[in-house]
Amino acid sequence: MKLSHAFRRIGVIFAKEAIDNLRDRRSIFTALTSTLIGPVLLLVMIVIVGRTFNQEGLTTSFRLPVIGAENATSLIAYLEQNGVKIVPGPANPQQAVKNGDEDLVLIIPEEYGEDFSQGLPATIQIVIDTSRQSSQPAIERIRQLLNTYSAQIASLRLLARGISPAVIQPLAVERVDMATPETQALIFLNILPYFVILVVFMGGMYVIIDTTAGERERNSLEPLLINPVPRWEMVIGKLVASWPFAVAALFINLLAFSLAFNYFPLEDYLGVQIQLDVRALTGIFFISLPMIVLASALQMIIATFTRSFKEAQTYVGFLPLIPALPGIGLAFLPIKPSLWTMLIPSFGQQILINQFLRSEPIAWGNVLISTLTTIVLSILLIFVAIRLYSSERILGSAK
Amino acid sequence: MIQVEHISKAFGAIQALDDISFQAPNGLITGLLGPNGAGKTTCLRILYTVLKADTGTARVDGFDTRRQILDVQQRIGVLPDSTGLYPRLTARENIRYYGNLHGHRGAPLEAKIDHLIKLLDMQDIADRRTEGFSTGQRVKVAIARALVHDPPNILLDEPTSGLDVMSTRAMRSFIRRLRDEGKCVLFTSHIMQEVAALCEQIIILNKGKVVASGAPEALLTETGRTNLEEAFVAAIGSSEGLE
Repeated sequence: MKLSHAFRRIGVIFAKEAIDNLRDRRSIFTALTSTLIGPVLLLVMIVIVGRTFNQEGLTTSFRLPVIGAENATSLIAYLEQNGVKIVPGPANPQQAVKNGDEDLVLIIPEEYGEDFSQGLPATIQIVIDTSRQSSQPAIERIRQLLNTYSAQIASLRLLARGISPAVIQPLAVERVDMATPETQALIFLNILPYFVILVVFMGGMYVIIDTTAGERERNSLEPLLINPVPRWEMVIGKLVASWPFAVAALFINLLAFSLAFNYFPLEDYLGVQIQLDVRALTGIFFISLPMIVLASALQMIIATFTRSFKEAQTYVGFLPLIPALPGIGLAFLPIKPSLWTMLIPSFGQQILINQFLRSEPIAWGNVLISTLTTIVLSILLIFVAIRLYSSERILGSAK
Repeated sequence: MIQVEHISKAFGAIQALDDISFQAPNGLITGLLGPNGAGKTTCLRILYTVLKADTGTARVDGFDTRRQILDVQQRIGVLPDSTGLYPRLTARENIRYYGNLHGHRGAPLEAKIDHLIKLLDMQDIADRRTEGFSTGQRVKVAIARALVHDPPNILLDEPTSGLDVMSTRAMRSFIRRLRDEGKCVLFTSHIMQEVAALCEQIIILNKGKVVASGAPEALLTETGRTNLEEAFVAAIGSSEGLE
């Protein structure tokens, strides 16, 4: 009998907060924009960075500024045979590379011909800037061409002296590159779990702040607390009111990602189309649900002891950065799912989301562990929130 | 019926209430009078359960405000110092929310809300969102939501503060009306005239202590003065804090 009364009162609080916040443009606006940031940002990144990965452009029109091309006619001829378009180098090659006007400049000094014909190592210089990521493919390509040319000449010189070129090639290294265009493009997917976390935290954020710090700021908390409703029911009602907002945000977010991946012509930029199937999206959706509970409890605690809406907004706004940190690391250091990673709430989920994205086989034990630890931690945090809500200090500065 | 017995409350080093005792019977208007900072609001807050007394007990209709919180909350209607409303809800929705929290629903609740809206003469604002309401309009909504569950005990913290002359008069006749219905009305004020105009029983608080109490006439005899204002000054020992 008692419990049904409790549920009814929680329902009253839930319904009021949900309706109240649905009428709040700010809540709706935040929930919606946060869902679209991820997909839009990812598309922009793919369009801009994707070209760097796309090697096709290089073979067709690869131009190389050369200073002193007349000093090494055979080398220049070799480069031209291999599709390099030789153009005269700039007057100040160092400055040109530094400014980014050129990816690299090849300098062939006057002594080159003399050293070359005497069989001495003939010095040539390439002026590059290794800190510029976009120059890397061009630099890599020209280095390969120069190495091949050098090796060819070396072989010819040995043959002329009656020695087999195999003598100076103790290792024959063969590259077996497993990277398919798909796996290269998947680098972009590494960042997706971070956006999912962001949405999980932002979706219900304003509802939590509005029903806690906002309630206090507009002086409606004290009269509310006089109603015959135990404090724990108030906390639960307010927490649960934020969930539909967060769930809706998550749903829209995944829908937007699915549209971006499945309908945007990614192939033009990445050379391959990434597919996000319904199974992966559904998996990600359900994996993320317990994190909504965790996020709302954390936000509730923070919003309970901040004095104003603004203050709460500031602190709560920083929250998604905490779970995001391991996620950002994940983009660079691939970590295998293991027990300890699953025991860290939000980290385990990010790894699982990654697995869903790559259509890797999912260990359901991992899903269970990460969901359970997240829920247990959430329950502990909800207890803390209820304790805070039950103390006299909840009225704060409101006089 | 409100009974306060030997209540004390300290905030850190500040003794806000120091061994306070009084009774507020049904069918009477009891005024808690005192200068700013005398402990009036703290006393009410203990009665309406958001603060806990360090020592002593307070009872509402016999229920302990510390241990039988929900029973107490069901029997009190409170106009606290902070009367914040929900700006995105209409006046009627604000009142209905409190009715729902008290477990009332459906037609009886709607009838009660209509009754209060008519009684407080707020038909014109009832279905408007409360954003931008004047102080008088806000107080009306706050009163209506405090009374929506028909409580036998009514606590009002400075009910006329910020109201204009007409609203103040309306508030006074409303308070008298509640008394005539047999309710126990306890209100705080730092304005002598207001207390003189309304109360059958006055409790004068100063620095957390009851310095005088009784019917207005009794206070005059006790202090040997001819009007209440002088009696008040005599009771608190100075005119400090008076307006």
